[in-house]
Amino acid sequence: MTEPAVEDKRITLEEAAKKIPDGAHIAWGGFGYQRPPEALAMELIRQHKRGLRVYTCGSEHDLDILVGAEACLELEIAFFAIEALGLAPNLRRRAKEGKVKFEDYSNLAMALRFLGGALNVPFMPIRHLAGSDMMTKTRLRKDKAKTITCPFTGEPITLVPSVQADFGVICAQKVDLEGNTRIFGIKGEDNEIARSAKTTIVFAEKIITNEQIRRNPDLTTIPGLYVDYVVEVPFGSWPMQVYGVYDYDLPHLQMYMEQCQDEEGWQRYLKEWILDVESHDGLLKKIGVKRLRQLRAHRQYGY
Amino acid sequence: MANYTSTEMMAVCGAHAVRDGERVFAGTGLPVLGAMLAKVTHAPNAIIIYEGGNVDCRNKDLALSVADSRLSYRAAASIGLIETLGFLMMGGRVDVGFLGAAQIDEFGNINTSYIGDFESPKVRLPGSGGGNDIASSAGRVVLMFTHDARKFVRKLDYLTSPGHLSGPGSREKLGLRGGGPALVVTDKCQMDFDPDTLRIRLKSVHPGVTVGWVKENVMFDLIIQGQVPTTPEPTAFELRKLRALDARRIYLGKGEK
Repeated sequence: MTEPAVEDKRITLEEAAKKIPDGAHIAWGGFGYQRPPEALAMELIRQHKRGLRVYTCGSEHDLDILVGAEACLELEIAFFAIEALGLAPNLRRRAKEGKVKFEDYSNLAMALRFLGGALNVPFMPIRHLAGSDMMTKTRLRKDKAKTITCPFTGEPITLVPSVQADFGVICAQKVDLEGNTRIFGIKGEDNEIARSAKTTIVFAEKIITNEQIRRNPDLTTIPGLYVDYVVEVPFGSWPMQVYGVYDYDLPHLQMYMEQCQDEEGWQRYLKEWILDVESHDGLLKKIGVKRLRQLRAHRQYGY
Repeated sequence: MANYTSTEMMAVCGAHAVRDGERVFAGTGLPVLGAMLAKVTHAPNAIIIYEGGNVDCRNKDLALSVADSRLSYRAAASIGLIETLGFLMMGGRVDVGFLGAAQIDEFGNINTSYIGDFESPKVRLPGSGGGNDIASSAGRVVLMFTHDARKFVRKLDYLTSPGHLSGPGSREKLGLRGGGPALVVTDKCQMDFDPDTLRIRLKSVHPGVTVGWVKENVMFDLIIQGQVPTTPEPTAFELRKLRALDARRIYLGKGEK
């Protein structure tokens, strides 16, 4: 048997951001402090994107900079804060200014909406949301969720609309040229996002060979056939963490939380850490090899 | 002056709410400490689950996020949201879930989304996250937050997660299968729910707090029945274990003596 050629889906971070036009709807991967597409968020800001709508369960520093730079002001989302560190400062300010529009769902509702999109069915049933204001208070959608009588059992059940976003963006530890992806540690809702979006881009810490993938196919969490583009971005989730690769940069996050409480502080952060560094490579240079080494995960612990 | 802080008191009350062998869903913050403390004291067989995807956690370091890599260390499984909030939570396999709240009403319905009018809110809060999922399907729910009269409101600005909605039968009517809130823990007192009306009832006041103070610092009519007991103080053993769990005082740093 002759082996078919391995398709090379690689593009650069800059090219990936260029493919996402103003006004695009993006299913945004990562969960909490784990594997958020930070490098992409920063590049979208450098390319002055506008009018993006993000769908996600919960994102934190990555979305807070997108909202601060006003690249994204529409969110279908379950959670937005920096968890233990407090409320997201830019979001809080932009919301007060009346600039951000939210469509609120629960985490499971968002994950099921991606699963419905991946299965190519129009909605998913959920036993949650009923009785809450998330059912009735809407901003972006006419129909947000509906409770119906189950045609089989006669019991009340709530339906949420599926999502098939223009783009799905997720971060992973490893990927090959064809997009066969290995996510280690928790997956959040990334498996469903990757299978639901019209165009899926995987940002990986490291590119491995197709042969390595085929030696352990059971480690593949997302087969390459769902993946349109592959981007190699070391430290692509900094200042957050990637399980088994590096830990979050807590002093940086604490500085962010303190400095970005007002607009002037955020504008300084934007200039210093996103615009003036000009590229992801420029950012890594600014952080410095010494600091990046300190953040490297301990082999035994994974952080 | 007590030899423990009000925050430590809350964490210990949270731990007492966990029974041995139960499946516990914890969020970041004090609930994490409560669940972890239960596991190293009276409930070694408790199974702790975090919504990010980690199941049966035995982490050695404290997590800052429900998705923190720290939670994968020695966990039984690291999967995803459909596993934790779907198969486990909506599947009816979780005994107790912990939640915080910015506002609570007399039926234990909570708001974690907006302060002020929905159309032009004063503050945007984190939102539901997995809160609504936990409140809808967990066997019972424990609510933990610091006591402030402005949090115990007659009417919520926004109902994020259902408590007992408008009283007996209302959860069942909507098909919500979880048991709803069973306990409220603040830094001043503990409250449970009157079984007949499902309205909040004062259960115990922490040492040094009077029933009158609690009454004044709740904006709805709090049910008070008979002599309200004082919450037992944390034991030296509990305090030692608790402080070891948060040696850097990430969560315990707040609160007063």
